[in-house]
Amino acid sequence: MSEPGAKHKFAFYLGCIAPNRYPGVESASIKAMKKLGVELVPLKGASCCPAPGAFGSIDMNVFYAMAARNLVLAEEMKMDIALVCNGCYKSIWEVNHKLKHNKDLRDAVNEVLKEVDMEYKGTINVYHTAELLYNDKFIGVDKVRDSVTNPLTGARIAVHYGCHLVKPHKDREFEKEVMLNTEHPMWMEELVSALGATPVEYRNKMQCCGAGGGVRGYDIVHALDITNEKLINLQEEKVDALTDICPFCQLQFDRGQIEIQEKFGATYNLPVLHFAELLGLAQGMSPQDLGLDLHGISCESFLRKVL
Amino acid sequence: MAEKKKTTTTKKTVTKKPITKKAAPVKQDIKKQAPAAKPAAKPAATGSTTQQKPRVGVFICHCGTNIAGSMDLMAVQEYSKTIPGVAHVDNYQYMCSTPGQGKIEKAIKDHKLTGIVVAACTPRLHEPTFRTATKEGGLNPFRFEMANIRDQNSWVHMHDQVGSTEKAKDAVRIAVAKAALLQDLYPKSVPVEKAAMVVGAGVAGMQAALDLAAAGIKTYLIEADTSIGGRMSQLDKTFPTLDCSQCILTPKMVDVGRDTNIELYTYSEVNAVEGYIGNFDVTIRKKARGVLTPKEAEARGLVGGGCNGCGDCDAVCPVVKPNAFEMGMKPRKAIYINHPQVVPLIYTIDFDSCIKCGLCVTACGPEKRAIDLESKDEFVKVKVGTAILATGYELFPIEKKEEWGYKRFENVITGLEFERLICASGPTGGHLVRPSDGQTPKKVAFVLCAGSRDNTGSGKPYCSRFCCMYSLKHAHQIIEKIPGCTPYLFYMDIRSFGKMYEEFYYRIQDEGAKFIRGRVANILEDSKSKNLHVMTDDTLLDRPVDMEVDLVVLASAVQPSADTNRTRKLFGVSCSMDGWLLEAHPKLNPCGTTTAGVFLAGVCQGPKDIPDTVASAEGAASAASIPIHKGEVELEPYFATCIDEKCAGCGMCVNLCPYSALALVEKDGRTVMEVTEAKCKGCGTCGGFCPGGAIWMNHFTTPQIVAQIDAFLLGGEQ
Amino acid sequence: MERTKGYPAALDKKLQDTKLYVDDSNPEFSKSVKAISRTNSHMCYQCGTCTGSCPSAPRSSYRIRKFMRRAVLGLENEALTDPDLWLCTTCYSCSDRCPRDILPTDVIMAMRNLAFKRDIVPVNFLKTVTAIYASGHGVPNNDVNRAAREKIGLSRDPPTTHTYAEYMPGIRKILDHYKLKANADRIIKEREG
Repeated sequence: MSEPGAKHKFAFYLGCIAPNRYPGVESASIKAMKKLGVELVPLKGASCCPAPGAFGSIDMNVFYAMAARNLVLAEEMKMDIALVCNGCYKSIWEVNHKLKHNKDLRDAVNEVLKEVDMEYKGTINVYHTAELLYNDKFIGVDKVRDSVTNPLTGARIAVHYGCHLVKPHKDREFEKEVMLNTEHPMWMEELVSALGATPVEYRNKMQCCGAGGGVRGYDIVHALDITNEKLINLQEEKVDALTDICPFCQLQFDRGQIEIQEKFGATYNLPVLHFAELLGLAQGMSPQDLGLDLHGISCESFLRKVL
Repeated sequence: MAEKKKTTTTKKTVTKKPITKKAAPVKQDIKKQAPAAKPAAKPAATGSTTQQKPRVGVFICHCGTNIAGSMDLMAVQEYSKTIPGVAHVDNYQYMCSTPGQGKIEKAIKDHKLTGIVVAACTPRLHEPTFRTATKEGGLNPFRFEMANIRDQNSWVHMHDQVGSTEKAKDAVRIAVAKAALLQDLYPKSVPVEKAAMVVGAGVAGMQAALDLAAAGIKTYLIEADTSIGGRMSQLDKTFPTLDCSQCILTPKMVDVGRDTNIELYTYSEVNAVEGYIGNFDVTIRKKARGVLTPKEAEARGLVGGGCNGCGDCDAVCPVVKPNAFEMGMKPRKAIYINHPQVVPLIYTIDFDSCIKCGLCVTACGPEKRAIDLESKDEFVKVKVGTAILATGYELFPIEKKEEWGYKRFENVITGLEFERLICASGPTGGHLVRPSDGQTPKKVAFVLCAGSRDNTGSGKPYCSRFCCMYSLKHAHQIIEKIPGCTPYLFYMDIRSFGKMYEEFYYRIQDEGAKFIRGRVANILEDSKSKNLHVMTDDTLLDRPVDMEVDLVVLASAVQPSADTNRTRKLFGVSCSMDGWLLEAHPKLNPCGTTTAGVFLAGVCQGPKDIPDTVASAEGAASAASIPIHKGEVELEPYFATCIDEKCAGCGMCVNLCPYSALALVEKDGRTVMEVTEAKCKGCGTCGGFCPGGAIWMNHFTTPQIVAQIDAFLLGGEQ
Repeated sequence: MERTKGYPAALDKKLQDTKLYVDDSNPEFSKSVKAISRTNSHMCYQCGTCTGSCPSAPRSSYRIRKFMRRAVLGLENEALTDPDLWLCTTCYSCSDRCPRDILPTDVIMAMRNLAFKRDIVPVNFLKTVTAIYASGHGVPNNDVNRAAREKIGLSRDPPTTHTYAEYMPGIRKILDHYKLKANADRIIKEREG
């Protein structure tokens, strides 16, 4: 298939967990988005977003300054940011939004950035790749559907939206209004359908994975207990896989299942894939290309269904 | 000081040349205008004082500490004495009190005053008071001017003593400048049409219409729905007395139908309103109903014809639609009545769904010939003296609060749906059942403040005021009708404020209803059983709650009915941010509006229970009957006046006037503009526009306003 | 001791005076919480929507509504010394639904900030700081992952601070501006020796 030249270019902000634990998310995003006319350019020298739970809990000022540094890197490239993680979205998008709208905050942050010869100007926007895929201004569901060469027919896939992309909805400003629905959103299900799979509803879909806010580090059993509740609800609906748009949630569901087995003795063996990985599969990338073997829970059962 | 005063006066005339120029012809105009204004004046004006040197009296009110506590009133008093034209200055604790008013009356006589300035609160509050005092003192009441040094000064600059004192000086100086140029004016009286209109025939509108009719006033009652009774006719029982809603309402409905003083227009709406208090010309749109009343049939020469409510048409109609009266839970035909007790008992064709098959026409038969499939909207014009808006409410679309899953979960219903389900004449014959499977629920959750007291922007910030009480009543009905079924009320506060309401709360708790103090966070559905999990916090026990129930009833917030905004604009009535119609004063004029002759009744003004609704309706009826019984109303004489000599007859103003009060006429062989004073609202559109400066607004004349501006701008140099 | 009429020590503790006194309250605390959280924390009317929405509440003694109450009343010590403060997963469900349009999650974050100023902070939060100070990443790369990256055609290290170490001094400068690393090291040392 001939690929048209990239219509949109974004600075690709990687974060930590995607490149350092699930590199398939990184490579799938770059390749799949390219097929859809979006070029993701590496954001050189980016750091941790910083982790909103850890840094936000300790000192909001550091949180603002560190996120602003990443924003300035993209401002210098004169490119909007695209990213693949809800946690990163909270840090990068929200700090960008707050700095744009609060002069006092912006001045305070620039005071610090001056020490490293940087200045936040507020010239760029921040997007999650899921948003780019859904919004037809950039790509849209139809184009996603058209790009599928290996439809995931027959697979029952549930969606974990996670928290920090969409909540709190009153502070979000998505161009697509349906993305502001945080009680019963269906836009990710539309994307899942576009890949040929069957989206599955389950109880308390919008519940948190349990890992955020530093709780995973502070009290792992507490965090896993929340994850476990979600896994029970998912098991009820006999899903083949869970898809997410946040590597941190993915880590919690994927590695978390092993920890749950150790600590609670419950076994689910539910494959957990980032939507970028699903999209890669549907566009014909191999499981090896996607590094699916790095997942804590084997994706074999799911792959047998769709390949 | 006196010297300084003089120099300033000269300076003014010298430096402001253009104004001096303007001022000269203006003075001539005043002389000319005096006779022109005479038609409005009764007998010849008792000495037009315009030629006299102005002698203005200034009275400064302390308003207790409201004003005196925030500024140096003595400094304002001393300053006032230096203002040109001021002949007397005084102050008092409460100028609005009898001794305060007495000071004005006495000073007019003692000091031969020509104009009065009171520096106090707002004209809205006390202009009438001080005008009366001015009149009692022997001056024309329109020789009074108010300087607002409280609401716009001491209250907003409470902590700026120096600034507020200076601002008060400015305000007094400006008021004096106008008072010096005020003229005698005489209000015009117009006769009041001995008829009234009530818009909306729910319990508020019906009560208001019945009261007006009983007072001997011809009343046009306009209802958008096909029958009268409104929301109250949808209710099963009423709190706290538990009497059957229909039982107490039906007699009133019948009375409305029978009363010879009430002319009922159902399936109709107000289309246009012209005129003013005493003389409103209202156009009513009678929507195409497709069915003739016996009266209408007679008018067409079909003696003995017209709809008799037999329902033969209903039986043959092939089109089935959801019945909105039953909240869509029961079917109706394309030709229908809302319920068996409707007033008037006349069928209506829903032309949006009618397929014009003609079966009903055949069924109706050749004698009645009540059905006219080609009927069109009709327009009727009536004249009324006063009008009451009673346009009511509807439920806030609670599906917008997605966390409770209304319209997503079958067993989540609203309070109004509950009313229909528990009502013997409702879709289930009074058996409360779960919509998902028709089973009788054993555990029912009531979600209070569903969308009310919500500051997120997606709900309503106000308390909807009757949901606590109807939810208590629902709980009682469940306990009474379904043995073993427990109602759980999830609440933040139980607001049982009315007469016998707290006692009702006591009774329902005693009957076994369970109260959990926590606002419901969200509701989850069990996909198999369709049971619901109510998630909240028992804030009194400090424990999260996940309660599985069979049915959830949302006590949804209320909002003004859909057509309220259009209707209120026709009558020139304002509304609050939430869309509720605005009363003239929330405490002292709760039924009136800022448009003279237009009154409010019931929930269109804000959430009310039935007792309050009926009380407000009777209040509105009383208020609306006063001008009609008086027979005439005084109009403030602020209308436009045309100075014929200056008028070029261009007619621009005629097209601009929003009240159609102006016309071009021939006078002494010239075309000039003429004002119909009763129609003129004194808005000033024409006066501001007139290229020749030929139009004056009484009481707001160009010289008066220019003098005020001068006083402000040049005052700083004094 | 007299007061408890010879009850055992545990009961003695249970029966101690726990009334709310005016001097328990620090109005400055309420103001600081509002300033840091940038939300109207003082407007809470205690409806319970937050706790009802909270995934942590049913499995712990953590009650976000209680922390909101403490914010309103200025109960600084009670708020900052409660270990439940660190059980919020920041899922923002409470903030999403709060009918008073408050962001309780951000109130919690503000309280955690204030707790940190008093050295009250779980060590895992500080370890993230030291990790970022070292490599720019909270979750750094490792050899297994480097091999996997190479296998799927990516560079061994991502094009972040991992590849471009020249960006690290700037990051450290920002963190040092707030003395974050020094404080983290000090507290970790105090806790773990």
